[in-house]
Amino acid sequence: MKNLIHQLRGQTLVWIALAVLLFWLFSALFGSAFIPFSYTAIDSEHVMVPPGTAGHILGTDSLGRDILSRIIWGSRSIFTVALFTSLLSTTAGVVLGFSAGYFAKAVDTIFLAAMDIIMAIPTLVLAMVVLGILGGSTILSLTLIVSVAYVPATARVARSVLLSEKEKEYVMAARIRGESHLYIMFVEILPNTTGAIIVEATARFAYSIMTIASLGFLGVGLQPPNPDWGMMVIENKEIITQAPWAVLYPALAIASLVIAISIISDFASKVLIHER
Amino acid sequence: MIRKTILIFVIILVAFSLTAGGAKEPAKTEKTIRVAENVPGLITPGVWDGQAITLNASIYEYLVEVDAVDNSLRPILATDWSTDDGAVWTFHLREGVKFHDGTPFDAWDVKYTIERTQDPAVGHLKRADFAVVKAIDVVDDHTVVITLKEKRPTFVMQMTDYNMAILSRHYDYENLGERSPMGTGPFILSQMVPKENALLVRNREYWDPALPKVDRLEIYFVTDLDAKVAMLEGNQVDVVPFVSPVTRLRLDAHPNINVIAAYQEHRFIAMAVDQKPFDDNRVRLAFKYTMDPDILARSVAQTTVGEGFYYNESPIMNTLVEYHEMGRRGRDIAKARSLLEEAGYPNGVSVDLYYANDHPYSKELSQTVAELAAPAGFAINLKGFPRDIYLTQYWLKVGFSITGWGGRIDPAILLGLAFRSDGPWNEPHLADPVIDSLIDRIASEADEVVRSRYYQQLQQYFYDEGAIINIQVPKLVALRTNVTGYQHPLTMIVQYKYADID
Amino acid sequence: MKRLWSFIALELLRLLATIVVMSAIIFLLVELMPGDVAQIILGQSATEEAVAALRVSRGLDKPALERYLSWVGGMLRGDLGQSIYMKGVSVNSLLWRRVAHSLALALTAFLLFVPLSILFGVVAAVKEKRVADSIISFFGLATMALPEFVSGVFLIVIFAVTLKWLPLVSIIPIGQTLWTNLRILILPALSITFVMFGYVSRMQRSSMIGVLHSLYIRSAKLKGLPRMYIITRHALRNALLPTITVIGMNMGWLFGGLVVVESLFGFPGMGSLLLTAVKTRDIPLIEACVLLITVIYTLSTRLTNILYAVLNPRIRYQGGQE
Repeated sequence: MKNLIHQLRGQTLVWIALAVLLFWLFSALFGSAFIPFSYTAIDSEHVMVPPGTAGHILGTDSLGRDILSRIIWGSRSIFTVALFTSLLSTTAGVVLGFSAGYFAKAVDTIFLAAMDIIMAIPTLVLAMVVLGILGGSTILSLTLIVSVAYVPATARVARSVLLSEKEKEYVMAARIRGESHLYIMFVEILPNTTGAIIVEATARFAYSIMTIASLGFLGVGLQPPNPDWGMMVIENKEIITQAPWAVLYPALAIASLVIAISIISDFASKVLIHER
Repeated sequence: MIRKTILIFVIILVAFSLTAGGAKEPAKTEKTIRVAENVPGLITPGVWDGQAITLNASIYEYLVEVDAVDNSLRPILATDWSTDDGAVWTFHLREGVKFHDGTPFDAWDVKYTIERTQDPAVGHLKRADFAVVKAIDVVDDHTVVITLKEKRPTFVMQMTDYNMAILSRHYDYENLGERSPMGTGPFILSQMVPKENALLVRNREYWDPALPKVDRLEIYFVTDLDAKVAMLEGNQVDVVPFVSPVTRLRLDAHPNINVIAAYQEHRFIAMAVDQKPFDDNRVRLAFKYTMDPDILARSVAQTTVGEGFYYNESPIMNTLVEYHEMGRRGRDIAKARSLLEEAGYPNGVSVDLYYANDHPYSKELSQTVAELAAPAGFAINLKGFPRDIYLTQYWLKVGFSITGWGGRIDPAILLGLAFRSDGPWNEPHLADPVIDSLIDRIASEADEVVRSRYYQQLQQYFYDEGAIINIQVPKLVALRTNVTGYQHPLTMIVQYKYADID
Repeated sequence: MKRLWSFIALELLRLLATIVVMSAIIFLLVELMPGDVAQIILGQSATEEAVAALRVSRGLDKPALERYLSWVGGMLRGDLGQSIYMKGVSVNSLLWRRVAHSLALALTAFLLFVPLSILFGVVAAVKEKRVADSIISFFGLATMALPEFVSGVFLIVIFAVTLKWLPLVSIIPIGQTLWTNLRILILPALSITFVMFGYVSRMQRSSMIGVLHSLYIRSAKLKGLPRMYIITRHALRNALLPTITVIGMNMGWLFGGLVVVESLFGFPGMGSLLLTAVKTRDIPLIEACVLLITVIYTLSTRLTNILYAVLNPRIRYQGGQE
């Protein structure tokens, strides 16, 4: 921890990224208490008004809904889905990847072949087809399907991390002590690989925000009136010449969050993996 | 290595592009109108869902057509028609008309077209409407007599439905209808790239030598409304047959583009009377008391009530002669709350609202309705689906829905279709003897004054007990200013034969 | 050399196995979906008899295994079945034209982002920790973080709405081909380039830095060889290997990106066709599109593996691709 704080010294960009992430986290957790309007409230007197009109700090869309309130409210669903997707896919990936890497060659070969096959459909295409055909996506279905699509990638990372640890002395020692496989995998090896796994999880977090936004754009993400950021961009695209703010601000919200997480993920990989 | 790889890619790209076929440019003197339409679903007449109207409406023809301005009937394939008492109809047909494949059109084709509605293998959408036909007698090649099981004074109106295009009895529509539509219309299909575009050329053998006025009709199938409008602004197309009210505001500022309101369409908010919570009329009334037409007009259609936007609680369009003014209910949240409480929902009620999220006005309408009803205790969960999925999976099954309906020139057709207990498209699941008997009396009553009285009774009944809200929105068409003579009546069947371009 | 061939053979075998299993999974996935295909085709108001008749005529009443085998059999003969919505219109006639368009778009994007990102990656590495490096690195990070539709919307506002240089919608006019309308490729390809640029240039930078700090480059410097010569001849050659892997690994992202970008610009490609098919539940079309994307994508990752093995003999002895 001391080391981490030491590393943070002089990293202005990382500090900014952390601030941005905290801002969105705060908005997701407590934003609903501060938003000036309900995210569905229709102000039919002020349709497509520019930022700063009648209390609408970032303007309104074609129904007269407050852009700021919708962005803040939208941070909630995007955080929920992205966070759970990253947790779920990483956890499943670690369990699968560790088992494959730890056990004998047969399990590993089957595992690699299976992962190859799931990876053969691009994530976004897989999620789009499944969600599109099921229809009426919810936070739960979105999280589950994007997680499943990510598992092969996280499992491969976990597997290669385990392979690099497997032959180390402390693992050998545990084996000689006669510890169970589960104990060795998750009590002995796991704590020594947290760095790499955290890095993978943060990267997944950033990816899933992009994927969720893209699914929203394609019309197979969360349904209205949920203020999904990707959906806000596509919904308001038709008024881009009359009310550019209705497109610009949700787009900036997506970009700021993804950039912030990417910077943090980069930094984490530098500190936790490369400099060990 | 990399250099080589890139080189190979370039060679492939060039080779691919060069082999991709030659261009067929129109001659300079030819007049062409370019249209950006929705991507069609099924287009064979009988099962056609009314999407991509430009394509079918230009290829096929009907017995009669509706004047876009005064809604009067004009002879097309039928030159005149008569009935004695509404049960026996005689149609005289136009002579010298040929289908695009060269076969002559005659009375047997009309008989085939109407009999086809009852063929179970077709799954014809007009099956119920034409079940009233008892016999079709071909008197001679150009005269046909249709005998009905009961009086139906407005039977000829049924022939204006877009699925009642007159088909050739020699043509295999079951196998060719989707790929190569073929009729007697003013334009002939020249080529179609499925889901992408279609090229129609002038029918040189058209029975009216003065029509059509242009030589080519280019139709682009584009899903995204925004893309369609961009093509219009970028002069890539001349007509976009459906734009949103928000887009209208933007296009009004454009010097070379006009937006016209071709006709009125319905959006029915239907509450199924056999499912909770709308099985109780007090809940339906409570919901009606939360509605505010002024707010709906503004946020759904960017306009005001009366300016192309209407709100009423019966299925009859405000612009028709059959319409009777019921007076405004007025928004009353306290009243709505107490009605809900009386009905046994003191803590409010949660209900799912289904709609097609890619259909014009639906997205705005659903969200505004949910917002208006919320203060009274209605927690409305929006369930939006693409139109195809909404219509095939949810429509007619669910308890609460918003559906787009085209106008019907004769409201009796709509009533039989949507509100009789045996109507095939009975959204609110009505099975009300009062409504059934009023609909029957309307359908068979020849005296207009008496019929109008029945209409008034029906509308009053709908106002008090009804299970729908009828929102009427304009069908907005955007055209470049050099397009003239664009005729689009409320039957939806657009008449490109009259259109011209400078 | 013998080892290389056996490696290539193994890769091709894996490709084949992936495609076989994938076809079964895609078929199953679609099979398990809610809703009756015949009902979907005919619509809600169809009668029971009509639905039943259609089920028989489309062979939907047969057991799933039989239908799967006939689907696979058809595919082996090159028959992908018929679109649900366009009866009598074969998927073949719809799909291949779109595939050609998508490949042209992907290649354009490829030709844009590969040289650009390698160039800027190398520049950033050579100027490590200087202003040029910081600017390139941050730009890479920023473009990488913008989903294609966001950068696409920005590009539209700049080049199509404000400057009016390029068409906003990528439509091919009737009677013309993509070749006579190459302009429509530019904005969609640029949107894809933006995302890929970030990944590839960052990888190029870090692998180049690794190589530049290595012993043999230092000794080359000590020998007094010209700087440009060292960078292009010695360092770049070795630093390209990880970049190729990254490009291969991101092909999946590129295919997802195609769906998004084609929908944004209305480009008549495979991705927009798949989205239309999904929204209308045109099952034969969905199956064909997904299978084809899978094949092309798997092929490209396998090719990257082979290319990597050819360039780097060490990898073959480990027999894996890590």
